[in-house]
Amino acid sequence: MTEMLNGSDFGGILVHNFSEKILEQVVHFHVMKLNEGFFLWVGSAPALSNLAVSMSSKYDSMPLSTLVMGDPSNTAANSLAQRLAKRTKKQVFVSYSLPMTDSSLGLLVENRIKKELELHPENF
Amino acid sequence: MAEPIIKSRQAQKEVNGISTEVVCTQFSNYIFVVLTQYGKIGTLISVTPDSRSNDISTPTFSTKVLLGKDEPLTHVCAKNLATFVSLEAGNRPVLLGLALKDSSIDTIQEIKEIIKSCKVW
Repeated sequence: MTEMLNGSDFGGILVHNFSEKILEQVVHFHVMKLNEGFFLWVGSAPALSNLAVSMSSKYDSMPLSTLVMGDPSNTAANSLAQRLAKRTKKQVFVSYSLPMTDSSLGLLVENRIKKELELHPENF
Repeated sequence: MAEPIIKSRQAQKEVNGISTEVVCTQFSNYIFVVLTQYGKIGTLISVTPDSRSNDISTPTFSTKVLLGKDEPLTHVCAKNLATFVSLEAGNRPVLLGLALKDSSIDTIQEIKEIIKSCKVW
C-alpha cells in the first residue's frame, strides 16, 4: 500500500521495537511510524505513564510541545518530544515511562534514540 | 532479538472504499488503539471506565478529548469503538487515536471487526 498523502510517500504504519541495557537496566523502545510523524514509547516496564506531543511551527524556531497525559511536573516527555520534533521536522508523540531518579540516564537514553534515528531513519 | 515487552498487532483493510489502518498496542495500564484513514493519530481520546459501585449494572465510560477537535460525534464514536476493548481487557482504560474520513455507522461497525482481529489484550 503506497499512497500519496499530503504530497508525501507513505507506505503504511510501521511498528519497530528495540532495547538496550543502559546503566544496569534494560530500557525498551517502541516506535510507531505514521504519516509525517511517529509515536515513541520509552520504558523499563510496560506502562504508559505520560504522553507529550510536539510539532514545528513556522512562527518559532523551537517546536511547540504539550503534555496531554500524565504528571505535568515531569518534563522529560515534553522536552524529549520537542527535541525529536526539531530534529525530524515531524509531529512527534513521546511517552517517557522511566523513573526520573537518574538524570544521566535521560541523556544516555536520548543518545540511544539518536543512534537509532541515524541507523534506521526509515523506522521514524 | 528478545520478544518486545510492548505487544502490538496491526491490520489494514478497505472500508467503504477507504484504506483503513488499525494498530492495537498493549500497555499494563492502557490499551492504545490507533484507527486511521489518514495515516495519522489524529484526535486523541481517552476512554475510561467509571468506578463501579456495584457489579450488577454494566459499567459506564467517560470520554475525554486529549488532543484535537472536541465535538459530540467524536465522543460517540470513541465510546462505540472502545467500550468493548476496555471491557474485554479487564476494565483497562483505552487511549484512542481517531482519524476517520467516514464516521458512518456501517464504517464504525466494520472498524470494530478489524479491532477484534488485532486483539492484544
